Amino acid sequence: MFSLEFAIEAIDLTKRYGSLTAVDKLNLGVKANTIHGFLGPNGAGKTTTIKILVGLLKPNEGTVKIFGQETKGDRPDIRLKIGYMPELPKFPKHLTGYELLDIYGEMYGLTKTARKEQIPKLLEMVGLKERGQDRIGKYSKGMQQRIGIAQALINEPELVILDEPSLGLDPVGMVEVRELLKEIAKIGATVFLSSHLLNEVQQVCSEVTIINRGISLASGTLEEISAKFAKLETLEVEISQYSDTVVKKLKALPFVSQISVDDKKITIQTETKEDIRPLVSKAITDSGGVIVSMNQKEQSLEDVFIKLVTESEGVKKK
Amino acid sequence: MTKEKKKDSKFTRRFSAIVRYELLWNIRKKKFLGIIIVAFALATIALVVPVILSNVRNNPIAQNPDQAVTTGVGIGGLGFFLFAVVIAMNSISGEFESGTIVPLLTKPVSRTMIFLGKTLASFIILLTTYTILLCYLSIGSIVIYGPQNNLHLLPLALVGSIISTFIWIAMILAISTLSKSSMMAALGAFGIWLGLTIGTGIVSVFTEQAWVLDYLPGNGASGYIGSFNLGSTVSTGTNSIASNLVTYILNPSANVTYFKIGGFPGPVITPLYTEPLLLVLVRSIIVAAVYIMLFMFISWFAFKRAEVLE
Repeated sequence: MFSLEFAIEAIDLTKRYGSLTAVDKLNLGVKANTIHGFLGPNGAGKTTTIKILVGLLKPNEGTVKIFGQETKGDRPDIRLKIGYMPELPKFPKHLTGYELLDIYGEMYGLTKTARKEQIPKLLEMVGLKERGQDRIGKYSKGMQQRIGIAQALINEPELVILDEPSLGLDPVGMVEVRELLKEIAKIGATVFLSSHLLNEVQQVCSEVTIINRGISLASGTLEEISAKFAKLETLEVEISQYSDTVVKKLKALPFVSQISVDDKKITIQTETKEDIRPLVSKAITDSGGVIVSMNQKEQSLEDVFIKLVTESEGVKKK
Repeated sequence: MTKEKKKDSKFTRRFSAIVRYELLWNIRKKKFLGIIIVAFALATIALVVPVILSNVRNNPIAQNPDQAVTTGVGIGGLGFFLFAVVIAMNSISGEFESGTIVPLLTKPVSRTMIFLGKTLASFIILLTTYTILLCYLSIGSIVIYGPQNNLHLLPLALVGSIISTFIWIAMILAISTLSKSSMMAALGAFGIWLGLTIGTGIVSVFTEQAWVLDYLPGNGASGYIGSFNLGSTVSTGTNSIASNLVTYILNPSANVTYFKIGGFPGPVITPLYTEPLLLVLVRSIIVAAVYIMLFMFISWFAFKRAEVLE
């Protein structure tokens, strides 16, 4: 079942805190050398899943493999391949940025020469070149995020796991992080990016897993997910004057799954991928209506995400 | 440079990183400074109290060639406990409280190595502190009380004091790892220390159950060497390893007689039983070793299994 094609594989992963199930039989497959987005609203179980992946939590059930090796128990040999940046990372405030990277680099077994070569590059990459000798206690939130990214890359990892790396960053910083992620992927590392920011995931990830309430709702490439879940298309029609006859006629059309009316604006949702505009147009004119405008919208990943999350909330509540 | 050449799997490199991390944690957080101040305060008190008393009584300060050794072995009790609290109270729980445990535990070092590294760092800090303390005491004793005898026994006092302190360090580490709270560790250990100190005194002197105290950490049962007077009373517990070690070296045939205080209206000293000082010493070292290993094992086991929820 497990394959080296995957950097991360989780099968039926379950984590419970008392009566609360934070992760519920989660299946996850992250292909090697991809940027894989782990998308979900706050409290979806993303951080719990990541903590299991890096060995901070033990699952109640299920298996995790990193590059084909099972992570059961204390496995420093597996962690050697991983660079991990926690959500809102906390580092010893009494260390300078340089010392932090130096000590962590030494823990990865990097020689003194290698550390001397690597650390200035990393500090420059994350924009902390001038602040490397300052203590972390004096760093702003954004700077702590940056040093967090640097320490996750100190060992030139094969797998980089980033938990909400843009949290606390300004818009410029967020763009820089995205560029950085693309650079990491270019050198052949696998990136597993947890985020609640759709825009971020859409811009940098080739594959996505959507999670809510600990359950995997969808997984695949962005195109696959859109094709599979973006079934509904929306047609917005504005008519010159509200008419019950027009609405009744539209409701009777076989491909219409839902219709909502706001005065002269009618929103029609359909599951067909075909162009329904001629048929809608004909139905309106046949029933005496006059079309002012007509606009067909395809569902975005955001719509899919909201739909999946909303549906899963409904399922859980039942 | 290739990736292989940049990295190696040397145990010593990773271990030294942990020790450096922990030492910097202690030194930069001013803990080390705090502990040195406490050490100097205690040593200064031990040196100057006789001088102050002499002045009060208008007596000249007598030459005392044993001052360095007697004060060197006499930190004991509260001193050991204070050192242990300062060194160990947030060594592990502090990492959980501050959230720095997350990046630490996700590095490619085993939890056992982290635990051992932190323990070694505690040992280094304690060794450095006690060494500075004993040097200060020796120099101070020579300056105030004249030439000193048996200075060569001070390293033994150092070893004994470290063993005595390490029981409390191990206990505080165990409580802090189990509770993940520095405050709980300090208060919990203080409660145990206070309970043992008060309880030991009562049981030791007023009942005949002194043997129970042989197997508890702390001051242990009270006894005397030779005849009973205040100057010759000794504690036989794990806090007194240093002084009993030095006493044994100076007087290998010494025996300890345990006693009970009772009687009405005045106190009556009733001797209970006698045993060789060597036996007292060996037993206290074994008891100390067992407690250190037991608490260290609890601490290591809890740390190994700890989950990072926050």
